[in-house]
Amino acid sequence: MEMSEAHAVLASARRARVDPHLSIKTYDPEADMMLLHFGPQHPSTHGVFRMDLHLDGEIVVKATPYVGYLHRAVEKLCEKLSYVMLTPIVDKNDYVAPMTNEQALNMAFEKLLGVEVPRRARWLRTILAELQRVASHLLWLGTFTLDLGGALGGGSTLFLHCFRERELILDLFEDLTGARFHYNTHTIGGNRHDLPAGFAAKVKQVVAVIEARLPEYAALSLDNGIFKARTTGVGVLDGDLALELGITGPVLRASGVDHDLRRDAPYHAYDELPVNVVVGHGGDCRARAEVRFAEMRESLRLVRDAIDGVPEGPINGYKPIRQPTMAKSTGGQVYVGIETPRGELGTFVIGGGDTPTSPYRLKIRPPSLHSLSALPYILPGQTVSDAVAILGSLDPIMGEVDR
Amino acid sequence: MNESDGKRRLPRYDEAALAYEHPLYKTLLAAPGLSVSVAPLDLLLSWGTMNSLWVFPMATSCCGIELMSAAASRVDLDRMGTIVRATPRQADVMVVAGTITVKMAPRVKLLWDQMPEPKWCIAMGSCAISGDFYRELYSVVPGIDTFLPVDVYIPGCPPNPEALMHGLLRLQEKVKLARAGQLVAKEYPPNRLDITKPSIARLSDPARDPALSAAQEKSAGEATATDESDERGGGNASAVEPFAAETTSTDVEALLRELGVTEFPKDGAPIVPVEQHVTLARRLRAMNYRIFVHVVATHFPEKTGAKAAPERFEVAYALRSVGSGSKIASWRLSLATGQAAPTLVGVFAGADWQEREQFDLVGVRFDGHPDLRRIMMPGNWEGHPLRKDYPADKACTPWR
Repeated sequence: MEMSEAHAVLASARRARVDPHLSIKTYDPEADMMLLHFGPQHPSTHGVFRMDLHLDGEIVVKATPYVGYLHRAVEKLCEKLSYVMLTPIVDKNDYVAPMTNEQALNMAFEKLLGVEVPRRARWLRTILAELQRVASHLLWLGTFTLDLGGALGGGSTLFLHCFRERELILDLFEDLTGARFHYNTHTIGGNRHDLPAGFAAKVKQVVAVIEARLPEYAALSLDNGIFKARTTGVGVLDGDLALELGITGPVLRASGVDHDLRRDAPYHAYDELPVNVVVGHGGDCRARAEVRFAEMRESLRLVRDAIDGVPEGPINGYKPIRQPTMAKSTGGQVYVGIETPRGELGTFVIGGGDTPTSPYRLKIRPPSLHSLSALPYILPGQTVSDAVAILGSLDPIMGEVDR
Repeated sequence: MNESDGKRRLPRYDEAALAYEHPLYKTLLAAPGLSVSVAPLDLLLSWGTMNSLWVFPMATSCCGIELMSAAASRVDLDRMGTIVRATPRQADVMVVAGTITVKMAPRVKLLWDQMPEPKWCIAMGSCAISGDFYRELYSVVPGIDTFLPVDVYIPGCPPNPEALMHGLLRLQEKVKLARAGQLVAKEYPPNRLDITKPSIARLSDPARDPALSAAQEKSAGEATATDESDERGGGNASAVEPFAAETTSTDVEALLRELGVTEFPKDGAPIVPVEQHVTLARRLRAMNYRIFVHVVATHFPEKTGAKAAPERFEVAYALRSVGSGSKIASWRLSLATGQAAPTLVGVFAGADWQEREQFDLVGVRFDGHPDLRRIMMPGNWEGHPLRKDYPADKACTPWR
């Protein structure tokens, strides 16, 4: 089949929804198709993720994703341990944004145990969540450009720049919690570490540095000819399909759906600190990149506004926990979802059971798993190199996909 | 120079002693205008090997991010001659950064076998060293030294980039000593191996059964073939049903009452009759509950005694409304042993993977699902790990 002809056929097929379960034998038994195993160890899969790509020439005809290569049995572990022991465990799920993992888990426990979080702790959590969002998006931008340009194609320039700025935010977290990575700073009812002296000034300095450098990054990526050519019109995801698949976060907003839990179902201090929701249009890789850029700017603004207004008061509203047995649930089922850098991270907990100090069943709803499930729908019709760009633009973190 | 002179015997590779004594060096030095530097070839080779340890990042999880940080601006591994190569064929050192699961372990072994000699292995982080807190769980390998020869262990969760750098420096020392013939293999006293009580014998354990290594080799060879023969849970082709806006109601409770639900418990979502389940989902979707949130199956084993109850499964569903004032609508199904839940794939495409996950981990079947097979565990796995009767530390051979 000619390249242009194949593009035309597949472009029309893309307007109708692809059936991901159709057997590959029904496509064209005569065609000289190739099966390409992509992953599970590939630098562009952002972890251990595998796709089987059926190719006609360079065009993907069918994509079958496989996950589970990092299935660490977190949900089974959560049934063994007590409520207060679980925060450091879920840190490792979405290892690019551990702060928001801890928040999602502890908010579910707070709802289950009926604990009120003091206002200072809620402001603190807001600031940490927004800083984490910037750090996470910076890591996404660095690796995404690395995927597009390759280490020798100019992509690594932005990779090095983004990691430089990400380190500034990690330094702030290290000041606050003592850890670079897995913080363990949220507990049931509030936070563990209060702001150290001079923290606000440091935050403002970091925010100013990153804000000043963002236009430079936009010039290196969004305005770059190669970047434009690799992302515009590539991997178009329809808003209706995105909703149906349960996709949330920047990927959903890039498809033109105005939905953000920070504004629509406010938690933390977002009712006092209004968020301007960024909505993209087009649903392609470029729209997803633009949404994340604008979100970084918005988060930095939010942090700058919030850091001076942190109210005084206690940072933990729960009794100090000296023993794991002190947090007990008599039963009930709760679900709490929050907006993390990747979308709605939810925690569903069933309390009670034979051991009241640990959850009977705990399910983590990972936003990345839902994003990845779009791949069989949007990959057919694209080239193999576009598959890398599309996967990168969805920003999956395999730790939370597989748990 | 010899010992009869009564002088101290110099080390084998002391260039001052050997190279500069060489007659060729003296001859060359006599040539006018020529400057010469001489070293033993072996010294040159080990210097080159030491300072160009190319890394293959077997990065699976959190430690992989710190490995990236180490390669990035602030720490910059490149200045040690260590660059990251994405293919095993160009690499000298495999850095296993992250948790290795029983599904991934055969692939790691394959990649290790593809690396050319000489090669070294670094276990970065507690998961690679021992499996960390996941070590007793069903799906995690308790330390990569159960199937790979590890040279350097870098503790931490995750280790800082500086710690990774330190580990590489220690590996450089080890390479240098090994090439000079000065590295003596440590003999671990047998009782020391018992301290951590590994659930599987390490490669360095003298009591390790050779049959185990053979089984791991065989399993690695079958790694890709296994996934093709995934167990299927039955079901037939999906019929994607058209979107039907059949209701204008906005009250979820009124809708549930209409569908025959009478009890609204305070401690959870209402239980909906199985036959009304798909209708409910479709009607909720028409009421702007368009984001598919989750499917959670829970196992309640049989109870005896005063509160006797038969074994049952509960499947909880949740949908979310789009936009301003977003709300959750949730309901539950209660299933007896062996009873299947009707699939939601026809209404929400996102139910596809979610239902597969619950089938895989809890063992609930979904009637009409087009592709019900395992998603998290390997295709040849036995049992459903999130059931309450499944032990939390069940071993999986040959990796555990």
